[in-house]
Amino acid sequence: MPENAGLVIWTGIKLIVLLGLGIYIIFAGVIVRQEQLMSKVLEADSEKVLAALSWVHFGAAAVVFILALLIL
Amino acid sequence: MSYDIQFCILEDMPVLFEAPPTKKQPSRKGNSSAQTESTTVKTGTTALTAYFMHPKDIRFETQDADEDVILFMRQHIIVLIPKLIFGICIFFVPLFLFPILAQFLLSPIEIPGGYIVIGTVFWYVAIFGFILTSFLQWFFNIFIVTNKRIIDIDFLYLLYKKFSEAQIVRIQDISFRTGGIMATMFNYGDVLIQTAGELPNFVFEKIPRPAEVVNTISDLAEKVKGKGNV
Repeated sequence: MPENAGLVIWTGIKLIVLLGLGIYIIFAGVIVRQEQLMSKVLEADSEKVLAALSWVHFGAAAVVFILALLIL
Repeated sequence: MSYDIQFCILEDMPVLFEAPPTKKQPSRKGNSSAQTESTTVKTGTTALTAYFMHPKDIRFETQDADEDVILFMRQHIIVLIPKLIFGICIFFVPLFLFPILAQFLLSPIEIPGGYIVIGTVFWYVAIFGFILTSFLQWFFNIFIVTNKRIIDIDFLYLLYKKFSEAQIVRIQDISFRTGGIMATMFNYGDVLIQTAGELPNFVFEKIPRPAEVVNTISDLAEKVKGKGNV
Protein backbone atom coordinates (compact mmCIF):
# COMPACT_ATOMS: atom_id res chain seq x y z
CA MET A 1 0.00 0.00 0.00
CA PRO A 2 2.73 2.60 0.84
CA GLU A 3 4.54 1.68 -2.39
CA ASN A 4 1.35 2.42 -4.34
CA ALA A 5 0.96 5.73 -2.55
CA GLY A 6 4.54 6.67 -3.52
CA LEU A 7 3.85 5.78 -7.15
CA VAL A 8 0.70 7.89 -7.19
CA ILE A 9 2.55 10.85 -5.66
CA TRP A 10 5.43 10.65 -8.12
CA THR A 11 3.03 10.28 -11.04
CA GLY A 12 1.21 13.38 -9.82
CA ILE A 13 4.49 15.28 -9.51
CA LYS A 14 5.50 14.15 -12.99
CA LEU A 15 2.22 15.42 -14.43
CA ILE A 16 2.65 18.76 -12.66
CA VAL A 17 6.22 19.07 -13.97
CA LEU A 18 5.11 18.21 -17.51
CA LEU A 19 2.26 20.71 -17.26
CA GLY A 20 4.68 23.40 -16.10
CA LEU A 21 7.11 22.63 -18.92
CA GLY A 22 4.22 22.62 -21.41
CA ILE A 23 3.20 26.09 -20.23
CA TYR A 24 6.82 27.18 -20.62
CA ILE A 25 6.80 25.94 -24.24
CA ILE A 26 3.72 28.10 -24.86
CA PHE A 27 5.56 31.05 -23.29
CA ALA A 28 8.57 30.38 -25.56
CA GLY A 29 6.18 30.25 -28.55
CA VAL A 30 4.69 33.59 -27.52
CA ILE A 31 8.21 35.09 -27.47
CA VAL A 32 8.85 33.81 -31.01
CA ARG A 33 5.53 35.19 -32.26
CA GLN A 34 6.00 38.48 -30.47
CA GLU A 35 9.48 38.84 -31.93
CA GLN A 36 8.00 38.34 -35.40
CA LEU A 37 5.37 41.02 -34.74
CA MET A 38 7.94 43.39 -33.33
CA SER A 39 10.19 42.98 -36.32
CA LYS A 40 7.31 44.19 -38.51
CA VAL A 41 7.13 47.37 -36.44
CA LEU A 42 10.86 47.97 -36.64
CA GLU A 43 12.80 46.75 -39.64
CA ALA A 44 16.49 46.44 -38.82
CA ASP A 45 19.22 44.07 -39.96
CA SER A 46 20.11 42.88 -36.47
CA GLU A 47 16.70 41.30 -35.94
CA LYS A 48 17.73 38.07 -37.63
CA VAL A 49 19.98 37.25 -34.69
CA LEU A 50 17.15 37.90 -32.23
CA ALA A 51 14.77 35.77 -34.28
CA ALA A 52 17.33 32.94 -34.24
CA LEU A 53 17.80 33.29 -30.48
CA SER A 54 14.06 33.19 -29.82
CA TRP A 55 13.80 30.02 -31.93
CA VAL A 56 16.75 28.50 -30.03
CA HIS A 57 14.94 29.26 -26.78
CA PHE A 58 11.75 27.66 -28.09
CA GLY A 59 13.73 24.59 -29.22
CA ALA A 60 15.45 24.31 -25.85
CA ALA A 61 12.08 24.47 -24.05
CA ALA A 62 10.75 21.71 -26.32
CA VAL A 63 13.87 19.58 -25.72
CA VAL A 64 13.45 19.91 -21.93
CA PHE A 65 9.81 18.83 -22.24
CA ILE A 66 10.72 15.77 -24.34
CA LEU A 67 13.58 14.96 -21.97
CA ALA A 68 11.20 15.13 -19.01
CA LEU A 69 8.76 12.90 -20.85
CA LEU A 70 11.48 10.29 -21.38
CA ILE A 71 13.44 10.50 -18.13
CA LEU A 72 10.80 11.08 -15.47
CA MET B 1 73.78 41.40 -74.75
CA SER B 2 74.65 39.54 -71.58
CA TYR B 3 71.11 40.04 -70.32
CA ASP B 4 69.68 38.27 -73.32
CA ILE B 5 71.82 35.16 -72.70
CA GLN B 6 70.82 34.93 -69.03
CA PHE B 7 67.17 35.11 -69.93
CA CYS B 8 67.48 32.28 -72.45
CA ILE B 9 69.16 29.99 -69.93
CA LEU B 10 66.51 30.54 -67.28
CA GLU B 11 63.75 29.89 -69.73
CA ASP B 12 65.16 26.49 -70.76
CA MET B 13 65.77 25.19 -67.22
CA PRO B 14 63.22 22.75 -65.73
CA VAL B 15 61.20 23.95 -62.75
CA LEU B 16 62.69 22.30 -59.62
CA PHE B 17 60.80 24.24 -56.99
CA GLU B 18 57.77 26.36 -57.30
CA ALA B 19 56.75 28.51 -54.38
CA PRO B 20 53.19 27.90 -53.21
CA PRO B 21 50.82 30.65 -54.11
CA THR B 22 50.73 33.12 -51.24
CA LYS B 23 47.65 34.90 -50.07
CA LYS B 24 47.54 38.43 -51.23
CA GLN B 25 48.45 40.67 -48.34
CA PRO B 26 46.34 43.77 -48.30
CA SER B 27 48.47 46.76 -48.99
CA ARG B 28 48.45 49.84 -46.85
CA LYS B 29 46.45 51.45 -49.54
CA GLY B 30 43.98 48.58 -49.34
CA ASN B 31 43.73 48.94 -45.58
CA SER B 32 42.92 52.55 -45.82
CA SER B 33 40.22 51.82 -48.33
CA ALA B 34 38.83 49.15 -45.98
CA GLN B 35 38.87 51.67 -43.18
CA THR B 36 36.98 54.18 -45.22
CA GLU B 37 34.58 51.41 -46.15
CA SER B 38 34.00 50.55 -42.48
CA THR B 39 33.38 54.19 -41.68
CA THR B 40 30.84 54.39 -44.46
CA VAL B 41 29.22 51.16 -43.19
CA LYS B 42 28.68 52.94 -39.88
CA THR B 43 25.51 54.40 -41.33
CA GLY B 44 23.89 51.12 -40.21
CA THR B 45 22.87 50.21 -36.70
CA THR B 46 23.80 47.15 -34.66
CA ALA B 47 21.77 45.16 -32.14
CA LEU B 48 23.28 47.24 -29.33
CA THR B 49 22.81 50.66 -30.89
CA ALA B 50 21.06 53.02 -28.50
CA TYR B 51 21.59 56.32 -30.30
CA PHE B 52 21.99 56.93 -34.00
CA MET B 53 21.70 60.00 -36.17
CA HIS B 54 20.39 59.50 -39.71
CA PRO B 55 20.35 55.69 -39.75
CA LYS B 56 20.05 54.23 -43.23
CA ASP B 57 18.93 50.72 -42.32
CA ILE B 58 16.04 51.56 -40.00
CA ARG B 59 12.45 51.54 -41.16
CA PHE B 60 9.32 51.42 -39.05
CA GLU B 61 5.77 50.23 -39.58
CA THR B 62 3.98 53.48 -40.37
CA GLN B 63 6.81 55.29 -42.12
CA ASP B 64 5.78 57.37 -45.13
CA ALA B 65 7.70 57.21 -48.38
CA ASP B 66 8.95 60.78 -48.02
CA GLU B 67 9.72 60.47 -44.33
CA ASP B 68 13.34 60.27 -43.17
CA VAL B 69 14.49 58.97 -39.82
CA ILE B 70 16.66 61.65 -38.27
CA LEU B 71 17.22 60.25 -34.82
CA PHE B 72 16.85 56.69 -33.60
CA MET B 73 17.07 55.97 -29.89
CA ARG B 74 16.65 53.28 -27.31
CA GLN B 75 17.26 53.39 -23.60
CA HIS B 76 20.93 53.47 -22.67
CA ILE B 77 22.46 50.00 -22.77
CA ILE B 78 23.45 50.42 -19.12
CA VAL B 79 19.83 49.77 -18.07
CA LEU B 80 20.36 46.15 -19.07
CA ILE B 81 23.33 45.66 -16.75
CA PRO B 82 21.35 44.97 -13.51
CA LYS B 83 19.29 42.30 -15.29
CA LEU B 84 22.44 40.79 -16.77
CA ILE B 85 24.12 40.70 -13.35
CA PHE B 86 20.98 39.09 -11.88
CA GLY B 87 21.04 36.52 -14.68
CA ILE B 88 24.72 35.73 -14.03
CA CYS B 89 24.09 35.42 -10.28
CA ILE B 90 21.20 32.98 -10.64
CA PHE B 91 23.24 31.05 -13.23
CA PHE B 92 25.49 29.85 -10.40
CA VAL B 93 22.68 29.08 -7.95
CA PRO B 94 22.39 25.35 -8.81
CA LEU B 95 26.14 24.91 -8.28
CA PHE B 96 26.29 26.46 -4.81
CA LEU B 97 22.84 26.76 -3.30
CA PHE B 98 21.36 23.37 -4.15
CA PRO B 99 24.04 21.29 -2.33
CA ILE B 100 23.69 23.56 0.72
CA LEU B 101 19.91 23.22 0.67
CA ALA B 102 20.22 19.45 0.27
CA GLN B 103 22.33 19.30 3.43
CA PHE B 104 19.87 21.34 5.48
CA LEU B 105 16.68 19.81 4.18
CA LEU B 106 17.03 16.29 5.44
CA SER B 107 13.99 14.92 3.72
CA PRO B 108 13.06 11.25 4.21
CA ILE B 109 12.02 11.11 0.53
CA GLU B 110 14.89 10.74 -1.87
CA ILE B 111 14.49 12.88 -5.01
CA PRO B 112 15.10 10.80 -8.18
CA GLY B 113 18.08 11.82 -10.31
CA GLY B 114 15.86 12.53 -13.33
CA TYR B 115 14.16 15.40 -11.51
CA ILE B 116 17.50 16.91 -10.59
CA VAL B 117 18.68 16.69 -14.22
CA ILE B 118 15.45 18.16 -15.62
CA GLY B 119 15.37 20.83 -12.92
CA THR B 120 18.92 21.92 -13.65
CA VAL B 121 18.47 21.98 -17.44
CA PHE B 122 15.20 23.88 -17.09
CA TRP B 123 16.87 26.36 -14.73
CA TYR B 124 19.39 27.32 -17.43
CA VAL B 125 16.74 27.47 -20.17
CA ALA B 126 14.67 29.76 -17.95
CA ILE B 127 17.69 32.03 -17.32
CA PHE B 128 18.26 32.20 -21.07
CA GLY B 129 14.58 33.06 -21.51
CA PHE B 130 14.79 35.77 -18.85
CA ILE B 131 17.83 37.42 -20.46
CA LEU B 132 16.29 37.08 -23.94
CA THR B 133 12.97 38.68 -22.94
CA SER B 134 14.77 41.47 -21.09
CA PHE B 135 16.85 42.17 -24.17
CA LEU B 136 13.85 42.01 -26.52
CA GLN B 137 11.96 44.45 -24.33
CA TRP B 138 14.92 46.85 -24.44
CA PHE B 139 15.49 46.29 -28.16
CA PHE B 140 11.94 47.07 -29.24
CA ASN B 141 11.30 50.01 -26.92
CA ILE B 142 12.29 52.72 -29.33
CA PHE B 143 12.10 56.45 -29.86
CA ILE B 144 12.25 57.81 -33.37
CA VAL B 145 12.47 61.36 -34.59
CA THR B 146 11.71 61.89 -38.26
CA ASN B 147 11.50 65.02 -40.35
CA LYS B 148 7.72 64.99 -39.75
CA ARG B 149 7.02 63.59 -36.29
CA ILE B 150 8.27 62.02 -33.12
CA ILE B 151 7.37 58.42 -32.35
CA ASP B 152 7.48 56.39 -29.17
CA ILE B 153 7.00 52.64 -29.47
CA ASP B 154 6.70 50.70 -26.23
CA PHE B 155 6.36 47.00 -25.70
CA LEU B 156 5.11 46.21 -22.22
CA TYR B 157 5.80 42.72 -20.88
CA LEU B 158 6.18 41.50 -24.49
CA LEU B 159 2.41 41.31 -24.93
CA TYR B 160 1.20 44.89 -25.13
CA LYS B 161 2.24 47.37 -27.76
CA LYS B 162 1.88 51.12 -27.37
CA PHE B 163 2.47 53.38 -30.35
CA SER B 164 2.43 57.15 -29.75
CA GLU B 165 3.26 59.86 -32.23
CA ALA B 166 3.11 63.62 -32.49
CA GLN B 167 3.75 65.96 -35.38
CA ILE B 168 6.87 68.08 -35.07
CA VAL B 169 4.77 71.24 -35.52
CA ARG B 170 2.76 70.27 -32.45
CA ILE B 171 5.78 70.35 -30.14
CA GLN B 172 5.47 73.21 -27.67
CA ASP B 173 8.10 72.63 -25.07
CA ILE B 174 11.04 70.30 -24.77
CA SER B 175 13.33 69.72 -21.84
CA PHE B 176 15.51 67.05 -20.29
CA ARG B 177 16.40 65.89 -16.83
CA THR B 178 19.32 63.85 -15.70
CA GLY B 179 20.52 62.91 -12.26
CA GLY B 180 22.30 60.28 -10.24
CA ILE B 181 25.75 58.78 -10.41
CA MET B 182 25.09 56.39 -13.27
CA ALA B 183 23.24 58.93 -15.42
CA THR B 184 26.03 61.47 -14.97
CA MET B 185 28.77 58.94 -15.66
CA PHE B 186 27.16 57.47 -18.76
CA ASN B 187 25.41 60.63 -19.95
CA TYR B 188 21.82 59.51 -20.14
CA GLY B 189 18.55 61.02 -18.95
CA ASP B 190 14.88 61.63 -19.67
CA VAL B 191 13.68 63.92 -22.45
CA LEU B 192 10.25 65.46 -21.85
CA ILE B 193 8.27 66.77 -24.79
CA GLN B 194 5.08 68.74 -24.36
CA THR B 195 2.71 68.84 -27.27
CA ALA B 196 -0.19 71.09 -28.14
CA GLY B 197 -3.81 70.19 -27.52
CA GLU B 198 -4.98 66.97 -26.00
CA LEU B 199 -2.12 64.93 -27.30
CA PRO B 200 -0.22 63.03 -24.66
CA ASN B 201 3.15 64.33 -23.57
CA PHE B 202 6.17 62.28 -24.45
CA VAL B 203 8.82 61.05 -22.09
CA PHE B 204 11.84 59.42 -23.66
CA GLU B 205 13.27 57.64 -20.65
CA LYS B 206 16.95 56.97 -19.98
CA ILE B 207 18.12 57.81 -23.45
CA PRO B 208 21.75 58.60 -24.22
CA ARG B 209 22.91 62.20 -24.84
CA PRO B 210 19.67 63.94 -23.79
CA ALA B 211 21.10 67.42 -24.38
CA GLU B 212 21.91 66.56 -28.00
CA VAL B 213 18.45 65.09 -28.47
CA VAL B 214 16.81 68.25 -27.15
CA ASN B 215 18.95 70.40 -29.45
CA THR B 216 18.19 68.25 -32.47
CA ILE B 217 14.43 68.21 -31.89
CA SER B 218 14.35 71.96 -31.10
CA ASP B 219 16.24 72.78 -34.30
CA LEU B 220 13.97 70.51 -36.28
CA ALA B 221 10.82 72.01 -34.74
CA GLU B 222 12.04 75.53 -35.52
CA LYS B 223 12.85 74.55 -39.07
CA VAL B 224 9.49 72.89 -39.64
CA LYS B 225 7.55 75.74 -38.03
CA GLY B 226 9.59 78.25 -40.04
CA LYS B 227 8.64 76.46 -43.24
CA GLY B 228 5.01 76.46 -42.14
CA ASN B 229 5.02 80.20 -41.53
CA VAL B 230 6.55 80.93 -44.95
